[in-house]
Amino acid sequence: MPKLIIDDIPVEVAPGTSVLEAARSVGITIPHFCYHPALAIAAACRLCAVKLLDGPVKGIQMSCALPAQDGMVVSTTDPEALKMRALVIEWLMLNHPHDCPVCDEGGECLLQDFTIAGGHSRRRYQGKKRTFQNQYLGEGIHHEMNRCIECYRCVRFYQDYAGGTDFGVMGSAGRVYFGRFQEGALESPFSGNLVDICPTGVFTDKTGRFRARYWDYQFAPSICQHCSVGCNTSPQNFQRETIKIVGRRNDQVNGWFICDRARFDKGYLNDPQRPREPRLDGATCGYDVAVDAAAKSIAEFVRNNGADKLALVGSTRLSLEGMIVLAQVAEAAGGAKVCYFDDAGLQQGSLAAAKLLHEENAAYVKDIEQAQWIALHALDLMEEGPMLALAVRKAFLAGAQIFLVAGDTLPACKALPFKYTSVETLDQVPFEGGGKGVIICGAGSKDPELLAEMASSGAKLVMLQPGPNGFAAALLTQQHAAGPLAELVAARQVQAVVCFEADVPQTLLSDLEVLANADWRRGAVEAKAPIFLPTTTWAESDGTAINYEGRAQRFERSRVAGLPLKGLDPKYYGSATEAVTLHPPRVHRKDVPGGAERDAWQVMAQLIERLGGEPVEPLTGKWRALKSLDPEGEGVRILEMGLGE
Amino acid sequence: MIPETLKKSLQARVASAITAREAAVDVMKELQAHYGWLTDEAVQEAAALLGLSPLQVEELATFYEMIYRRPVGKKVIHVCDSISCWCADCDKIIQYLKDKLGVGLGGTTADGMFTLLPCCCMGMCGDSPAMSVGGVPYGRLTPELVDEILEAERHKV
Ligand code: SF4
Ligand code: SF4
Ligand code: FES
Ligand code: FES
Repeated sequence: MPKLIIDDIPVEVAPGTSVLEAARSVGITIPHFCYHPALAIAAACRLCAVKLLDGPVKGIQMSCALPAQDGMVVSTTDPEALKMRALVIEWLMLNHPHDCPVCDEGGECLLQDFTIAGGHSRRRYQGKKRTFQNQYLGEGIHHEMNRCIECYRCVRFYQDYAGGTDFGVMGSAGRVYFGRFQEGALESPFSGNLVDICPTGVFTDKTGRFRARYWDYQFAPSICQHCSVGCNTSPQNFQRETIKIVGRRNDQVNGWFICDRARFDKGYLNDPQRPREPRLDGATCGYDVAVDAAAKSIAEFVRNNGADKLALVGSTRLSLEGMIVLAQVAEAAGGAKVCYFDDAGLQQGSLAAAKLLHEENAAYVKDIEQAQWIALHALDLMEEGPMLALAVRKAFLAGAQIFLVAGDTLPACKALPFKYTSVETLDQVPFEGGGKGVIICGAGSKDPELLAEMASSGAKLVMLQPGPNGFAAALLTQQHAAGPLAELVAARQVQAVVCFEADVPQTLLSDLEVLANADWRRGAVEAKAPIFLPTTTWAESDGTAINYEGRAQRFERSRVAGLPLKGLDPKYYGSATEAVTLHPPRVHRKDVPGGAERDAWQVMAQLIERLGGEPVEPLTGKWRALKSLDPEGEGVRILEMGLGE
Repeated sequence: MIPETLKKSLQARVASAITAREAAVDVMKELQAHYGWLTDEAVQEAAALLGLSPLQVEELATFYEMIYRRPVGKKVIHVCDSISCWCADCDKIIQYLKDKLGVGLGGTTADGMFTLLPCCCMGMCGDSPAMSVGGVPYGRLTPELVDEILEAERHKV
């Protein structure tokens, strides 16, 4: 373990750590542009200069490319280092436009930060600036090449890290240009990360430009709810609208990056058509009126038909909290059934995966990255867990053999950022006793015997869940011996349902009475339910999600519920009759327009009380251990905690 | 479209390389020789031959100064403007070339004979100022020598 001294502070770091990272570990940020912890070292920008006063190397050095060694005495404040950094930043800024006021990066711009930190605040250069034509790069990203400082981060991410081939660097010397061969939408499903990784405003998120500045945003640590990988995100909200979503680092899950679905697929959160008002028989009503009516309707149904003819239906969209309390509602209703899945096949596979996985065989992301072979079993990885494709790519680049088992007809194969060999069955994957191998499959709709066969191979396992919180649904299904709704309906065991964020298919609905429905989106269930209870999405609620490997992660409310201020219907302004310009309300009101939504589990808790039950707290009993989960931490694998049993 | 024979020989060249990328410069040069310059079509053809994306070929094509991504004259003059030649007053030679040919840097003469381009050090510092015409290097340039060279090159096939 090399020991060195940085600005008079003794530091000890792991071998191979750069001086830049060693300094960061004691709170000293050396300005840098081209360096990014996830990418290979380029030492292209020359900004991270420090002076070595003593030790094995001396003089001015690039701290990002210099491994810390025993006996080094480093100064980040030596006048020579300061001068060098000031000159480098001045030179990098020569061609940079005076753009900050009209640049969407402003306020969250590394170039701004390090220009100031580097000591360059007066422009001496009077000459002409190099200018470029921008390209159309699709609906996600806006291109502004004049702001480029040639750090090469974008191309190293896009081609090397993410395996894209349609974006890169052209030209040489003062003409280097980062773009495509011809204008057109970027092809990589990870292209949105260019926004995060470019230290300047060359790539900005077109879906949220010029809406707000960094300091206007409301943030909170969050977890992507598009698939069961559970990438860490940070939604940026402004006036009740999710403007942008950026990646948040978690080395155990997504590293630094997220896929484009996580970043750009956010329209549903801000949708003015989202159902926001509680409704009773088609008419808007107060929330408590709707909850009362739901409780009454449940009690009445139970009285007339017996509790066992009623099912409380959730889905893999619910938070863990919601899933736990759902079963308690069923109990409070006198022993109603509870369902977390509609489809028998999905439930069977999801449950089998949750049972088969334990701390030893459930692969960590590191296991994927360091595997010697990886078998993707009949899996559309870009659909079911896109970020894992980047982990597989790392293994591939390190020499791992990748097999696609029975997957040739799957649509996304072409987009996979690695080469693979197609085989028909798992037996054709040549491995002995597991080795350092990983099998990746989708658990939903898989035959449990096939999953068990995979588990007996000795390889590490990734079994992707159907839906973002499928693992939790499987645990709760197991705990409460819950049945899939389709089966219960087919066996005529259930006549009526109360739904919480459940997407019950039309075919089942025609045989069911829907007593009440709680959800944040529209759908067939909502259309059929006489009582509607609007709920919050993950962006507006606190909750816990469990990803495919059994990792429980906490997400936090990132903004209040309610209609976005932008485009707010004039009926919410001072006057209900006069047309008013698009200006926020001029009269005070205590409630947020369209802000009646409540977290699903809290609606359930209220129902329980109305049904005569005790107040509930979701994370109690065996779940208590998750109460103190740190939303900014790495999450915990419940398998490790023994919660999986 | 390139003729089948050229395609075959380029495929053989790519096949004999350890990595396809390594054959990229040869393929681009051959295609350039065929078309006169590396056309957009040629970039796409090179990409198909090399198993790269057109962008990846473009990255290489635009890096090398002897690959021309715009139409050029029959012979390209690369005149060095790097440090040694600059010390030997290449500026005077460049100005002379401009005046004589009636074009600016990057321009092609009206008769389509010559294109004038500045270039980096050609490794002929000992004979600076230096230039190459149609791939033939010339050093110790004077205006008189430039006259002679251009006259000779104009008539050489
Ligand atoms: S990239 Fe940064 S420094 Fe440049 S104009 Fe935008 S905000 Fe300003
Ligand atoms: S576009 Fe951005 S990331 Fe790419 S080289 Fe320029 S400044 Fe760096
Ligand atoms: S950060 Fe070290 S050279 Fe760019
Ligand atoms: S500087 Fe002109 S040939 Fe070297």
